[in-house]
Amino acid sequence: MKALEAVTAGSLESSDVLITITPLDGEGVEYVIDSIVIKQFGKRIRQVTEEMTRQAGLGGARIHVQDRGALECTLRARLETAIERSTAS
Amino acid sequence: MGDTGFGLEERILHTKDEFAQREALLRSRGLTPPGDEEFVIGLYEGEMLVATGALVRNVLQGIAVDVGYEGEGAASAIVSSLLKRAVRRGLSQIFLYTTNEEASRFEALGFSLIAAVPRGAALLEWGSQGIGTYLESLRAIAIGRLDHSGAVVVNCNPFTLGHRALIEYASSRVPWLYVLVVEEDRSLFPFGVRFQLIREGTADLPNVTVIKGGPYIISSATFPTYFVRPDREEASQRTVNMHAALDLAIFRKYVAPALRVTERFVGTEPYCSTTSIYNETMKRILPSPEPEGFDLESRGVPIAVREMPRFEIDGAAVSASKIRDLIREGRLPEVEKLVPRTTWEWLTSEEAVPVVEKIRNSDSRH
Repeated sequence: MKALEAVTAGSLESSDVLITITPLDGEGVEYVIDSIVIKQFGKRIRQVTEEMTRQAGLGGARIHVQDRGALECTLRARLETAIERSTAS
Repeated sequence: MGDTGFGLEERILHTKDEFAQREALLRSRGLTPPGDEEFVIGLYEGEMLVATGALVRNVLQGIAVDVGYEGEGAASAIVSSLLKRAVRRGLSQIFLYTTNEEASRFEALGFSLIAAVPRGAALLEWGSQGIGTYLESLRAIAIGRLDHSGAVVVNCNPFTLGHRALIEYASSRVPWLYVLVVEEDRSLFPFGVRFQLIREGTADLPNVTVIKGGPYIISSATFPTYFVRPDREEASQRTVNMHAALDLAIFRKYVAPALRVTERFVGTEPYCSTTSIYNETMKRILPSPEPEGFDLESRGVPIAVREMPRFEIDGAAVSASKIRDLIREGRLPEVEKLVPRTTWEWLTSEEAVPVVEKIRNSDSRH
C-alpha cells in the first residue's frame, strides 16, 4: 500500500504527537523522529512507528513523528489515523 | 473548527472587526501584520481574541499570543493548525517567520533556525532537511570549479541588454560566475521563460553557469516584500530593510560558501526603491568582516560587493520594468533595441501572446 497524499494527524500540543506522512518515490519508508523525550523514549517511539507501518504494509512514504510527550496509546492512535488518511483514496 | 482542549475556540478570521482585533494583538506584541494574508486563524475565549497566526503561501507568520495567555498551549495549537492546513495544501517545504527574540520558542516546536537578524526577523523551517539538501545541490554544481567565484542574483523579468551587460562585466572579472535566478513564480514572465532567456542570452560566455535560485534566495520565505508593490503599507522601508537583511544573511552564511563565491555583482538601481534598499543592505552585510550582531560561527566569509552603473541606451537606464512599461503602453516595437536578440525573438513568438496580454492588463510591480 503506497502513501497517496500528504496528511497529518495529531498536534504539537503538550502530551500529543504530530504525525506527518508525505509520499515518496519508490517503496521505501523514511522515518524522522523528533521528541522532547528522545533520550528516554526515542527508541520505543521508533519501534512503535516502524511496527505499525509494517503491519499496515505502508510503503513509498516519509513519516515524520514530532512527539510532545505523548503516551504510547496516543502515539498508536495518531499513527493509525495518519496511515489510514494517507492511503485512503 | 472547535475546542482546542484549553477552553479556547479556534476560528478562521473573516470580518473587518476580527482583523482589527488581530492587528491590536499583533501590535501589543510588537509585531506588524504581514501583508498578503490568505488564511488567518484565531483562538477565542468568548469574544476575546487571545492568539492568532497566519499562513501566507508556504510561510507561517504573524503568530502572537496575548500576554495573559502565555504558556505553550495557545502558540502550539496555532502552529499545529497552520501546519495541518499547509500539509493539506500539498506544501512540503514549510517556513516560519518570526522575530529573533521569539525564535527559540518555535525551535521547541520542531522548527530549525535558518537565519536571524539581530533585533530583527528570524526565518525557521519545519523539520531540518530543507537547507541541507539545497546546499548539497549547490556544492555539486560547484565541484571542480575554482574558488573565488562570483555571483549575481537576478529576476530578469524579462532578460534585457542591461542584465546582459552586468553578466558580461561580472564574468570578465572572476574565474567563474554563477547567475542565480529568482525561482518563485510571482512575476509576469514565468520562471521557465525567464530562465530559458537568460540561458540563451548568455550561452556565448564560457565561464557562466545559470542556476535556479531555489527557496532560499529572494523568495516568499526570505524576502516576502520583494513581491509586493513598494507603495503598499506592508512594504514600509523598515520591513523591506529587515527582509533584505535576512535574505543577505542567508546568502552570506549558506549560499556563498556552498558555491565558494567571494564576490557578488549588482547593478545600481535608479528606479525601484525595494531593490535600492536591498543593494544598500548588501553593502553593509556582505563585505564587513564582522557584520554587526551576527554571531561569529554563522557569519561566513566576507564577500566583496561590486556595483556596476546601470547600462544605458540613449541616456536612459535599461531595466526590465521599463520594458514592461513599454509593453503595457502598447509600444512593443521600441523594446527591440533594449533586449538581446533571443529575448526579442521570444517576445514576438506565439508563446509570448498570453504574457504580453497579461502585462497589458496588470499594474503589478513584477
